[in-house]
Amino acid sequence: MTLLAFLLGLTLGIGFWLWRQRRLRRQIEQIVSALTDRTDFVASLPISSLVRRELVYLNQQRRLVETELQTWQRLFDAAPMGYLHVDEENQLLWCNPMAQELLSINRWQPGQVRLLLEVVRSYELDQCIEQTRQLQQSQVDEWIFHLTDHTGKLGARRSIGLKATSLPLPKGQVGVFLENRQPLLELSQTRDRAFADLAHELRTPLTSIALVAENLIPRLENPLRRWVEQLFRETQRLIALVQDWLDISQLQENPGEHLRYERLELRDLIQGSWQTLEPIAQQKDIELHYAGPEAVYLRADPARLTQVLLNLLDNSLKHSPLHSAIRVVVEVATDTATFNKVNEDRNVQIHIIDSGSGFAAADLPYVFERLYRGDASRQRPSQATANAIPPFLGRGSGLGLAIAQQIVQAHGGLITAKNHPETGGAWLEISLPCQ
Amino acid sequence: MLTPPPAVLAYRGSRRTDHTYFQRCLRSIERDVLRMGALVEESFRRAHQCLFARDLQAAERIPALDNQIDQYYRRIELDCATLIAQQAPVAQDLRLLSAFMQLVRDLERIGDYAEDLSEMGIKLFAYKPHDCMAEIEAMSFHAQMMLATSLVALADLDGAMGLTVKSLDDTVDDAYDRLYEILAYQRDIKGVVEPILLLGLAIRHLERMADHATNIGQRVAYIVTGQRN
Repeated sequence: MTLLAFLLGLTLGIGFWLWRQRRLRRQIEQIVSALTDRTDFVASLPISSLVRRELVYLNQQRRLVETELQTWQRLFDAAPMGYLHVDEENQLLWCNPMAQELLSINRWQPGQVRLLLEVVRSYELDQCIEQTRQLQQSQVDEWIFHLTDHTGKLGARRSIGLKATSLPLPKGQVGVFLENRQPLLELSQTRDRAFADLAHELRTPLTSIALVAENLIPRLENPLRRWVEQLFRETQRLIALVQDWLDISQLQENPGEHLRYERLELRDLIQGSWQTLEPIAQQKDIELHYAGPEAVYLRADPARLTQVLLNLLDNSLKHSPLHSAIRVVVEVATDTATFNKVNEDRNVQIHIIDSGSGFAAADLPYVFERLYRGDASRQRPSQATANAIPPFLGRGSGLGLAIAQQIVQAHGGLITAKNHPETGGAWLEISLPCQ
Repeated sequence: MLTPPPAVLAYRGSRRTDHTYFQRCLRSIERDVLRMGALVEESFRRAHQCLFARDLQAAERIPALDNQIDQYYRRIELDCATLIAQQAPVAQDLRLLSAFMQLVRDLERIGDYAEDLSEMGIKLFAYKPHDCMAEIEAMSFHAQMMLATSLVALADLDGAMGLTVKSLDDTVDDAYDRLYEILAYQRDIKGVVEPILLLGLAIRHLERMADHATNIGQRVAYIVTGQRN
């Protein structure tokens, strides 16, 4: 009886134990098969080997990932551009040696977590990161990073042109790539200076050539006379080009220094410029349509602003079809978006719209660059038309728009070029502060 | 009257412990102070450009910068007051907050002087550069270096470095005395005295800016050591 009860209990116990074992095995199998991503999963293996296999496999995977991570880390360390990584509180988590060099981060060790502003006092960089986080959009910023050294050595100041490309990352973190723009900046400065020097050197001999040619003309008979006349004209064109180039260089070097501000009325100025161009306009039967207030007053350099208007209107005339009209629209806008609320900024906007063929889309980003000429339709006029039209500054030299831009920028304004959706022609928009 | 500033409000909803909440607020204020410092440095640098490199464009953005500096000044002061009232910090945290409140005032003053300097630069533009311009420029560089040193000391909470700013101030004081002599006892002046007057004011401003930088350095030392001298 006792034995029977014992056996019964034993059987029950063993049965229960087996059931538990099966359940455990099934659970482990389920866990392993659900978690594993390997293809050669064999469910029939003993449970211990199943788990061991899985652990070994995971270990392998982990090691692989680790080596991959190290490779990436090495790549970032050796990258020719700077990279830094900040968390949601703008604390510097990590940066590569290049970033340390560019930003002169010398009070930070890897593994340390410090506010980025503690090690790099750059408001621009901070703002770039802040904006990236807020907008959750990649940002591109360019600025000159100045560094005042605190170690007490005078002259240990340096500045470096930087371009930052930021990237929003999960959990409010932000990554920033930094490029050194200093060599490029220096290169373009040297280029501009070299060109300005060259232009300066060319001006004197060109002037003497023009003088000699001018004196020769009355003493010569045809056909020699015609040739020298052509020589004289071409020399004049070259002189104008050289002068334009010098003007641009000066304006770029010291904007504002060469401006003589006066209070002027814009509509008179536009009409005046148009009258200068009237002969060409009449040839092509082109009219000027002015729309805007009767009188708009602003402070600007009248001679320079006339030059801008002449360049732009002349350009428009050149590309307008016969019997068409050029629209000039003037608007006075109060700019509410400006940060500076103390002196309320009023802006004058001048739109010059023609109905020619407009700019080619590929040319639009470059139209204000010096000596840039778009496709054939906007190229230098042929000899025949150049003869018929009195020479104006920047005519056909590829400098007209560049000069216009420099002058507008020196006034603290902005000039943009696009194509008008209705007329299909060029649409130049100047925005000037009234002051 | 005391509405919680955005930095404090932003964390109020989170279910963090008091300690972390306080630390985060403190960190946010510290960030603002450093931002303000960077702005003041930028403003000073632009004023320097305007005054010595005759770069009028550099001066254009200074009023906007000064506006921003003032905004930070008000916000940080309010943030500090709110945090002291709400969290009742002790020891170094309290010293940090009260020193911040004082130090932003110094920063704001330096920003104001920078704006004044740029205005002088615009007025001086019409005149021929004075002979002692190079010396004044060196003085200005030195003052900028002092500001940089005090800001680094603040970022690192390095009390010893904060105190070194005081010793740097002597150079500026000496330069001020020497330049004052040169400007004040000049004879046979042709034309108007405006440039000399402006330069006299400029060196006075630079000397004051250096003093404020010294103050910042000393406040950092106070945060670390708790001793006010």
